[in-house]
Amino acid sequence: MDPIIRMEKITKAYRGVPAVRDADFDLMPGEVHALLGENGAGKSTLTKMMAGAVAPTSGRMLFKGRETVFASPSQALDAGVAMVFQETSLVPSMTVAQNLYLGAEKPLNRLRGIYISAQQFLQSLNFPVDPAAMVETLGAAKKQMVEIARAVHHNAAVIIFDEPTATLTPEEKRHFFALIRRLKARGVSIVFISHALEEALAISDRITILRDGEIVASGPTSGFTRDSIIAAMVGRALSGQLYRERTEAGVRPAGRKILSVQDLSQGAMVRNTSFSIFEGQITGVFGLIGSGRTETFKVVAGITKRDFLRGGSVVLDGRPVRYIVPRTAVKDGIVYVTEDRKAEGFFETMSIAENLYSGLLASGHNRAWLVSRAEMAGLAADWSRRLNIRAINDNARVVELSGGNQQKVVIGKGLIQKPRLVIFDEPTRGVDVGAIAEIHELINRLADEGLAVVVISSYLPEVMNLSDRILVCRQGRIVEEFSPAEATETRIMYAAVH
Amino acid sequence: MGFPKDLSQERIVALITVAIFAMASVALPGFFSPDNLVAIVRSISVLGILALGMAVIIIGRGIDLSMVAIMAMSVAWYLQMLNDGMGEWRALALVLAGVLVIGLANGFLVAYAEVPAIFVTLASASFVFGLVRSQMIGSDAVPVPAGHWLGHLGGMRLADVPVEVYVFAALAFATFLFLRFTKWGRYVYYAGDNPAAARNIGMPVRPMMVLRYVLSALIAFVAGLLTAGSLQSMNTRVVNSTQLYDIVLVAVIGGIGLSGGKGGVRNVLIGAALIGILLNAMTILDIPLLYQNLIKSAILLIAIIVDGVLNPRDEQTAQQGDI
Repeated sequence: MDPIIRMEKITKAYRGVPAVRDADFDLMPGEVHALLGENGAGKSTLTKMMAGAVAPTSGRMLFKGRETVFASPSQALDAGVAMVFQETSLVPSMTVAQNLYLGAEKPLNRLRGIYISAQQFLQSLNFPVDPAAMVETLGAAKKQMVEIARAVHHNAAVIIFDEPTATLTPEEKRHFFALIRRLKARGVSIVFISHALEEALAISDRITILRDGEIVASGPTSGFTRDSIIAAMVGRALSGQLYRERTEAGVRPAGRKILSVQDLSQGAMVRNTSFSIFEGQITGVFGLIGSGRTETFKVVAGITKRDFLRGGSVVLDGRPVRYIVPRTAVKDGIVYVTEDRKAEGFFETMSIAENLYSGLLASGHNRAWLVSRAEMAGLAADWSRRLNIRAINDNARVVELSGGNQQKVVIGKGLIQKPRLVIFDEPTRGVDVGAIAEIHELINRLADEGLAVVVISSYLPEVMNLSDRILVCRQGRIVEEFSPAEATETRIMYAAVH
Repeated sequence: MGFPKDLSQERIVALITVAIFAMASVALPGFFSPDNLVAIVRSISVLGILALGMAVIIIGRGIDLSMVAIMAMSVAWYLQMLNDGMGEWRALALVLAGVLVIGLANGFLVAYAEVPAIFVTLASASFVFGLVRSQMIGSDAVPVPAGHWLGHLGGMRLADVPVEVYVFAALAFATFLFLRFTKWGRYVYYAGDNPAAARNIGMPVRPMMVLRYVLSALIAFVAGLLTAGSLQSMNTRVVNSTQLYDIVLVAVIGGIGLSGGKGGVRNVLIGAALIGILLNAMTILDIPLLYQNLIKSAILLIAIIVDGVLNPRDEQTAQQGDI
């Protein structure tokens, strides 16, 4: 059988720096091909070249055996190559049916007509989505279904998924995998970029691993194990250190109670939740997306306000607090490290030094009126070394860094404020394997130094590996607490789902 | 390759400015005379002062379309009160209070009510103009009372350079010091780059926003005093002129990105220099005002397009509090 897409010696360089170098890649009809690698390894660039979103610098691509150059994503889509992006490209204020037919409307576009044909089409795919629903009212999984339906509707022979499962709950993931199998049965070829190795191992036929823009391993999935994938991704064997089981002796005892929350409520997402946080240990908070875990801790950190009436109470060091802005929480030593670093974490046009310095400027310890370039440079050098932040040069803008280094910058500017309680929200989301190990080590060190640390995560191995106690959040409240000894993946998951 | 990094907008504009200056010096008789050079600097002083206020606002990802209205109407009201025989200090206190109230109202609506700055300031400009013109002053133009210090200010020169040039220089230096070396000045950049991140790290994002609109209102008042001084009156028709447009032109053309967090006083100076030289050369060439406006608008469009290419804003940035 001939491959449907074949890339030969393909290279893409940005300002002379190759993001993908001399890559040979092929995709068979009806195959699920997983593309793995650390952040910045070149996975996205490689697939964007397939989908016509990025033009290769050199090399050639054969599509259905013929040499092809896609000038734009829409040209690729017409030819049958569709890319489903992480951030959906749907129009939120339109209905599902309108989105399906977007750009393909007839001159006289009868709404009733497209609802009926959309209904039939969605049913043929077995998608439980209402064609008349507004896209903005749908959850992440259903939005993705609409995206996929749109790709299939364009008779796509190749569908590229960029981290499709990052925003899905376990239940939605199962639906998604079932869908992949159905697409495969229809003869559609699928490229699947992921950070979740188990998923890649479970769903794919073939795996290709990129490192620093080069393909370092490629072959049938049966020839890979979790460890061999990680070894190929990072170029060293470290999976043994990552996500190892927690031993009983390593559990830190609870220190002084620093925070106590009683009957906290905020909007629809946080409902009468109560819990305490102690110094000198890591409190892991596990919950599915939409369980209110982020919202709960955003209230604690003053980013959102709790309900004015019946909002419950938050007591810090025995003193009731009601924060209106994060500024007062920061002064009291509470730092929240966001899960969405691009939207509310870092300053993208600024250098690493300026980003780190923002923490010192805004901290309660800083009484100075004037800024000092020398102080900023010293701070940047010190913290870049401490956190092992790697950049091309000192003036690199944060937006140019890899996900792992961006995350370290965001963590660094929080730690500079000398917090007593640090809340990490998904600290390793979109972070490569090497940086995950470093961030975990850092979090452990903070707890050893006596800080109260909260780690919110929807990745079970992370919670189980880091936590000295585990809180499970469900439907806006903390519903259960486990010690590491009694916690198993099944018990935690059982508490988290409803 | 390398174009966006090596040729920033600031450098392009600086090069164009030098080129136009050189061409005008050679080709236009009388352009490179001391008197004309002083005239150029003088002509951009008031504009430059206003652009300084606008720059601070734009760096913080806002815009203030009420500056010209505040400038003209505050000073017109002040002069009217003096003409009506009110005491100097009482009139000054009243007008300063009015300016503060408008600045606070702009800032409060943008920062706390979260109304887009472009609508708030557009509305407050009309409001200020309508209120003062209908209730407080009797005619379009209000003269400076005879013997008042503003009248002397207009004719004052130090070493043959009019006093507004010194005021512009002093304000530019003060703004430079504020933006570059003070904590609050840096906050402007952080909040302009990413307001949510600035808030999370503990910066007083909203109070700072209010402060910026108060500052721009005060700067507008100062610019109004200088205008009244040099013209011996304040003509409120300026509110309906292209002056507001020129302010944005100076700020944006110098390279202060409309997406926030970028630029500084140097960009205002370069933008002001280009516009000053251009306007002066066009006047010497006797190009009719209509064509001058056409040329200016073409330049503004090009500047905004270049800004968009050099400082692309992605979807996510655009969604958070656009101007």
